[in-house]
Amino acid sequence: MTALLEVRDLAVEYDSGERRVRALDGADLTVAAGETIGIVGESGSGKSTLGSAVGRLLPSTANRVTGDVWLAGERVFDLPPAGIRRLRRERLGFVFQDPIASLDPTMRVGKQLKLVLGSKGDPLSHLDRVRLANPGRVARMYPHQLSGGMAQRVALAIAMACQPRLLIADEPTAALDAQVREEVLEVVFSVAAEAGTSIVWLSHDLTAVARRCSRVAVMYGGRVVEDGPAADVLGQPAHPYTAALARSAPAMASLGDRLSPVPGRPPVLAEASHGCAFEPRCPYAEERCAKERPELHVVRTQEALCHRATELVTAS
Amino acid sequence: MRLALWWLGRAVSAAATLLGVSILIFAAVRMMPGGFAETILGPFATADQKAELADRYGLDQSVFVQYGHWLAAVARGDFGVSMISREPVVSELWARLPVTGQLTLFSVLIATLVGVPLGVLTAVRARRAAVGRLLSGLGVSVPEFVLGSLVVFLFSRYALGLPAGGYDNVRSLVLPSLVLSFFAISITARTTRDAVMGVLVEPYVTAAVARGESPWFIIRHHVLRNAAIPVVTLLATITAYLLGGALIVEYVFNLPGIGSYVVQAVGRRDYAVVQAGVLLAATVFIVLNLLVDLVVGLIDPRLGVTSKGRRA
Repeated sequence: MTALLEVRDLAVEYDSGERRVRALDGADLTVAAGETIGIVGESGSGKSTLGSAVGRLLPSTANRVTGDVWLAGERVFDLPPAGIRRLRRERLGFVFQDPIASLDPTMRVGKQLKLVLGSKGDPLSHLDRVRLANPGRVARMYPHQLSGGMAQRVALAIAMACQPRLLIADEPTAALDAQVREEVLEVVFSVAAEAGTSIVWLSHDLTAVARRCSRVAVMYGGRVVEDGPAADVLGQPAHPYTAALARSAPAMASLGDRLSPVPGRPPVLAEASHGCAFEPRCPYAEERCAKERPELHVVRTQEALCHRATELVTAS
Repeated sequence: MRLALWWLGRAVSAAATLLGVSILIFAAVRMMPGGFAETILGPFATADQKAELADRYGLDQSVFVQYGHWLAAVARGDFGVSMISREPVVSELWARLPVTGQLTLFSVLIATLVGVPLGVLTAVRARRAAVGRLLSGLGVSVPEFVLGSLVVFLFSRYALGLPAGGYDNVRSLVLPSLVLSFFAISITARTTRDAVMGVLVEPYVTAAVARGESPWFIIRHHVLRNAAIPVVTLLATITAYLLGGALIVEYVFNLPGIGSYVVQAVGRRDYAVVQAGVLLAATVFIVLNLLVDLVVGLIDPRLGVTSKGRRA
């Protein structure tokens, strides 16, 4: 296994007693060491479940139906409790959406870092690394005294404290003001680059992801429906859903163009999809789309899960 | 500055509360059917005898005048004498304070040392939730006099090595403390469990799990402190409740404590004792609540006394 992260045919279901939801319906993903990849999808597309599954952080109501996750050569779901803790400690870093809530409210920032670093580490150098001005002052502060941007830098410093091989950032800037978003992203990507850490960035913003990541994977209905170099996925989408997503993004439209939202609603699967999950909303859907699960098609530089991918790309 | 203002506000509100409590209890004991004279002199006393007794204690004056006299004396630190024993009320209560104080202290200590770990354990191990529910259900639903009587019977019928009645030394308080803590343990455990379960779903706990911390490390460093506030508040309430409400256990075990003394005073219409006893209980409540506010501020910096946006 040469890839750092390998997700194969992963299906995860949430069972809340009266209702079953299939959040992942056979997702595939490969991340090479040092690569930065953005996973894009609407709410409910399964991207957060995929991110959690990598660290085996799924809630107890979730169960893995099929598939496997390999991280740094280890099968994540086969490890004993102590093994998965070691893997999380040494290989993985997580940054979450709400930075202030992800810090312990009753503990000073410096002490929280110290707890992760152990006795040998110096918290101030780690705060300095995420470009916090005046690390000494920040170390003495409690989380509620930090701004959102500062808190996310602290959370990043904690996540990166043990030099993980893979950083999973689940919408790290969704709770931040627009002005500090770019600053925080800049810090995330430069700190990860210095440490040689791969990034999996989960987001719903296709254009923002394409600007920073080398690769983009688009998720829909619990599957990765398109995967390829960022510029190509954004510029010449191979999957009708990606194309629709790109057309609905304000940043992609030239001045005077009309934005066209994707018609219909994203699906909530109760069981494995019989055909293509995008079929009800797809302008190019034909009969087999509802009956056969699409296979992987390689189109140009991308891989797409669409029966008509090759045909549609040649036609355009 | 803000701290000084806070203390001033707390002092004023404490004084107002005590004044209100004193008015209420003063009126209440005098509204009970059958006054001091009837209770003491019995049904066959003549009107002259009653009048003489009323005159001696000033009970023939209007309630407002009586309250004025009493309040003036209390302000000087004089709580009057027991109308039964003719001893100063303060020394009567002071003599009984150690029994009730120790009883309360032991019970709260046991409740904390057993209830808190039990609550944490049942919160972490969902499988044992049924056991926790059964225990706490049993704890809150078995009345103290039932459990107390059972224990007194067992320990007095069979020589089991512990005194089950009367007060000689600390050993006499072991059984009463255990009986009293039975209820306290169950509600401490339940409150702890709810608080811990609330903290376990917080994002910072998920973040700690994602960092690969072990469950007990997370409990020790992130959960206990964050779950402590409701438990501390509860323990203070239990302490105040036990100080005043240990009377059933004091009766069952025949302990000379404050609770049973004040109840006895109510029966004898010993006004000065009832008034002082109730005022003492109110003071304990106020002081404990003040302590809770200070401790809560130490536990959670967001709720600190001097921090901005502090609730009044």
